[in-house]
Amino acid sequence: MGIPYFPGCTLHVKAKGLDDSTRATLAALGLELTELPEWTCCGTAFPLAQDNYMGMVASARILAKAAKEGDGRLVTVCSFCYNVLKRVNFALKNNDEARTKLNAYLEENYNGELRVLHPLELLRDDLGFDSLKTRVDRKLKGMKVACYYGCMLSRPAKEMEFGEPENPALMEEFVKAVGAEPVDFPYKTKCCGSYQVLNNYDLVAGRVKDILKAARVRDSEVIITSCPLCQFNLDWLQDRFADEDKSFSKIPVLYFTQLLGIALEISVAKLGLDNHYVDPKPLLQAG
Amino acid sequence: MTSEEMTRKVKELSGQNPYLCMQCGLCSASCTGIGVMDLLPRQVMRFLQLGKEEILKNRSIWMCTTCLICTARCPRGIDIARVMEALRTINLRKGNDILAPEDVPAELLAEIPQMALTSGFRKLSA
Repeated sequence: MGIPYFPGCTLHVKAKGLDDSTRATLAALGLELTELPEWTCCGTAFPLAQDNYMGMVASARILAKAAKEGDGRLVTVCSFCYNVLKRVNFALKNNDEARTKLNAYLEENYNGELRVLHPLELLRDDLGFDSLKTRVDRKLKGMKVACYYGCMLSRPAKEMEFGEPENPALMEEFVKAVGAEPVDFPYKTKCCGSYQVLNNYDLVAGRVKDILKAARVRDSEVIITSCPLCQFNLDWLQDRFADEDKSFSKIPVLYFTQLLGIALEISVAKLGLDNHYVDPKPLLQAG
Repeated sequence: MTSEEMTRKVKELSGQNPYLCMQCGLCSASCTGIGVMDLLPRQVMRFLQLGKEEILKNRSIWMCTTCLICTARCPRGIDIARVMEALRTINLRKGNDILAPEDVPAELLAEIPQMALTSGFRKLSA
């Protein structure tokens, strides 16, 4: 029995590369994941209206089920899933009304005991970055990496406990451990525009341009993220930007687990590197 | 909805006190959606303090990405993202929304990650 793992809706379809690379890399490092049975959508967006408990039901159900499965942990890698599961778990633990209502609705007795973990935390705490350093070859040496957390991993800081709300450092520690070089990246937690891609193209295009430019001026060769929506917004628009501006130079946008897979020399077929808009394959020649 | 009712409802839904706002504008300077908003987040807070009901009709509440940068930075400790959500919620519960499934272009729909649809429709659709 591995550590209970919640993939989330996007990871079985559009972000299969994130799912595949997460499972393959963690397994290669001895961290076996076991997919939760009968999981559903997490609800994606934490409801911010005080009385919107309905928006928490899906996450509460997943958490209550996961608490019966394994060793008191639940691993999830998509930044949206991680954010909403962790925030609903916090509410179940600290908000009496949320706990009473959600348990009554679901006929459960779950009080937020679970620890919701991101694979970056597993790598740091279960494997250890010093140990990770000994497992990778020198393939990524000197590669300049922009760590893009987006808005979901570190905010709100009190509930997410993922470091400074605007300046987390865990992904940079990870990048150093796999032998690459994190760049100083002030845009690391600037929002990419998120779901507004459905509603306002200009908003998202503007934010994505700013983020890509900030990565480019620091000579980043790749941007890494754990969010399928950040990955999509940052990646998908680059073709259009290149058409509009001949001087625009593209930057591949990878999941951090794909970078880890490259460092561990896991076969490219298991990392989902074919499903990107900006081709990341030239990175494989590095080192 | 009278202005008193609106203010009471926003306080109830958001759990926030808009009168704490001192109009420093840090939320506006930080906001992700600012380039496409009609009112700055600071102005949304001010209109709320003044009880102006037209705040329910402004475009800015629909341009919010709930990235929580305003919330993280507010020196008065106001969770501004919750205030924005309260204003959206009052509208959504009356059936006033701004995103319909048919508005999403087919070529985008074919490419976009599923979570964008669930999160987007949860925030912007009644």
